[in-house]
Amino acid sequence: MEARVVNKGQLPELLDKLAKDYDLIAPVQEETVVLFRKISGAADAFLEYTNSDVSPKGCFLPQNEKTFNYTYTGDSIEINKPEGAQKAVLFGARPCDIKAITTLDPVFEGEKFGDEYYSGKRENTVIIGLSCTKVLSTCFCYAFEGGPCDGTGSDLLFTEIGDKYYVEVNTEKGKALADAYSQIFSSQGAEQLAKDKEELAKKLAGEFVRKVDLTGVKELLDNNFELPYWNGDDQKKCLGCGTCTYVCPTCHCFDIFDYPTGDFTGARLRCWDSCMYPEYTLMAGGHNPRPTRKERVRNRFMHKLKYHLDRYNMVGCVGCGRCVRKCPVNIDITKIINDLKEVAQNA
Amino acid sequence: MMDVIQQLREQAKKLLEEKKVTLVIGFGQGTELARTTPVFIDSPEGVSALTWGPFCANNLAKYLTDYKNAEGNVAVVVKGCDARSVIRLLDDNQISRDKVVVIGVPCPGQLEWQKVAAEVKPGASLKETADNGESFSVKTDAGDYSFNKKDYMLHRCLVCENPNPVISDITIGKELPVKTYEERFAEVSELEQKSTEDKSAYWDKQFSRCLRCYACRNVCSVCTCQICVFDQMLPMWVSKRTNLSENTMFHITRAFHVAGRCVDCGECDRVCPMDIPLRKLNQKIHKDLGDLFDSPTPGSKPGIPSALGEFSPGDPEEFM
Ligand code: SF4
Ligand code: SF4
Ligand code: SF4
Ligand code: SF4
Repeated sequence: MEARVVNKGQLPELLDKLAKDYDLIAPVQEETVVLFRKISGAADAFLEYTNSDVSPKGCFLPQNEKTFNYTYTGDSIEINKPEGAQKAVLFGARPCDIKAITTLDPVFEGEKFGDEYYSGKRENTVIIGLSCTKVLSTCFCYAFEGGPCDGTGSDLLFTEIGDKYYVEVNTEKGKALADAYSQIFSSQGAEQLAKDKEELAKKLAGEFVRKVDLTGVKELLDNNFELPYWNGDDQKKCLGCGTCTYVCPTCHCFDIFDYPTGDFTGARLRCWDSCMYPEYTLMAGGHNPRPTRKERVRNRFMHKLKYHLDRYNMVGCVGCGRCVRKCPVNIDITKIINDLKEVAQNA
Repeated sequence: MMDVIQQLREQAKKLLEEKKVTLVIGFGQGTELARTTPVFIDSPEGVSALTWGPFCANNLAKYLTDYKNAEGNVAVVVKGCDARSVIRLLDDNQISRDKVVVIGVPCPGQLEWQKVAAEVKPGASLKETADNGESFSVKTDAGDYSFNKKDYMLHRCLVCENPNPVISDITIGKELPVKTYEERFAEVSELEQKSTEDKSAYWDKQFSRCLRCYACRNVCSVCTCQICVFDQMLPMWVSKRTNLSENTMFHITRAFHVAGRCVDCGECDRVCPMDIPLRKLNQKIHKDLGDLFDSPTPGSKPGIPSALGEFSPGDPEEFM
């Protein structure tokens, strides 16, 4: 694998250039909240964060997406699709969130149901990851073979070491970008930094405080749709607010509806939706197969820990810890995993 | 706070043993040192899960409507602010008095868990907490910490006028001195000074960040509609699209729909994942309720007429 070195002092120059040549999406801070937005230069970026409040999944699956405009002309319907995706760079995403994108890929880029809106953006975007320098008490990416300095899914991975960034070139796309800005990406001193990065990764790996063990969980869920466990406190305390799913980098449910702008014109939109909402599974005839919070809470965890594995052979959680931090009532997926493991052991 | 925890457990145990209630809703230790989580206890053996301290921010009165049609009675642990919700729910006929046992705990304030977590050694576990007036001490297996209230407490607690539960069947712990705060509406007054354009720009910036997850609505103890207008599919008043116009529609509707019923518990503000200052919206309404109708904070005593549900010929009506 190739590697490069970027001086920290040159990062503003790089970001300014990227913003000129691409749609540059990077973490920004609004009040106390860190989220990803298109920025116009280095001055807008905020890199001193550990885990953004909202994940960057919106780069590929925006909360609101117009799929087409329609006009009814009397005897036919005119459909106008939006322009294709622009060339973009996603800069400064953390390893867990990039791994999360790799869990979305098979959903939207599968052979059977390819999604041109998603894949258009995916193909046109270069992902530049940024290794973590800190581990939060809610982080548990290690449990899914990820790590604070893991490059899975990224085209380039930046790791901050002293006054330099060690840059791993993980794909051809990444290489092309590094080559295009060769005044900024040098090769000097890369070997030493590679060792330093190993050290950093090792140090951070020792800082996780949440013990998460998935042994037996999938098998338990495979054989037990109805578990008494789901009658417990979680379904009683869940508020059904959907915060967990909106901040989650791997949740990808959406709703499609028409948004009329006049009697004969409008747009068809695709917007985020959440399995924690009662109307999510409400059928036209009034039946709801997930009528109470119990079924909805169970579904969220079944999706993460079983269905995603069944379909794509990947766990539907990357351990970013956002749902753990943001849930107003402290429903915690790590506790649920460990509880289920215990249930499996005692079965 | 160990004595309070001890008494809480004893009282809960007694209620369950004597079959006065079938469920006790209280606070239990959460998965982070500085967090608690709601616990639902239905047997005397379960009471050891109950805890109390400066990490009990949730308003558990929220859950009372879930059990209004349950067979047995329900006991709920409330702080001062949460007790206002109980009164409001009673006044709104949402729950019946004889089905609820209120366990009131005078509350010296609640800390913001994120701020505490940033200081405490990750992975440490909680041993004991104590209120020292200006600060809380927090003992853990990885050392002792002290958090001064001014910097670590939830904003709502800094101007709390009801530290003692205003309704309580069983009170646990010592009553605290009650204060009134001149500066209670300071932030709102500051906003009021801005020009209309600046106010609009301020709120546009806040609202445009909203994810419309509805945590603010769902956590609210007085949001009691069976089907909220924002969830209705037919007709679809507001779509799932997030943009400034629909977000603003949501926020103004939410704030006005709880006007006169909002008890200023601050939960909406606490749970918003996007840190939108919802409490400022509610507080503007509280301030106006006081200024225009001489109405105290809803729920601060029983039987306060609802400002928007009452008609009096003497009401100001400058805009008509
Ligand atoms: S389920 Fe929770 S921890 Fe897992 S990826 Fe989603 S938000 Fe992160
Ligand atoms: S964030 Fe928590 S309370 Fe809200 S829906 Fe998710 S699990 Fe339930
Ligand atoms: S909790 Fe915050 S983000 Fe969610 S709907 Fe309310 S204001 Fe919007
Ligand atoms: S609107 Fe907010 S502050 Fe008012 S009662 Fe509801 S949650 Fe509490």
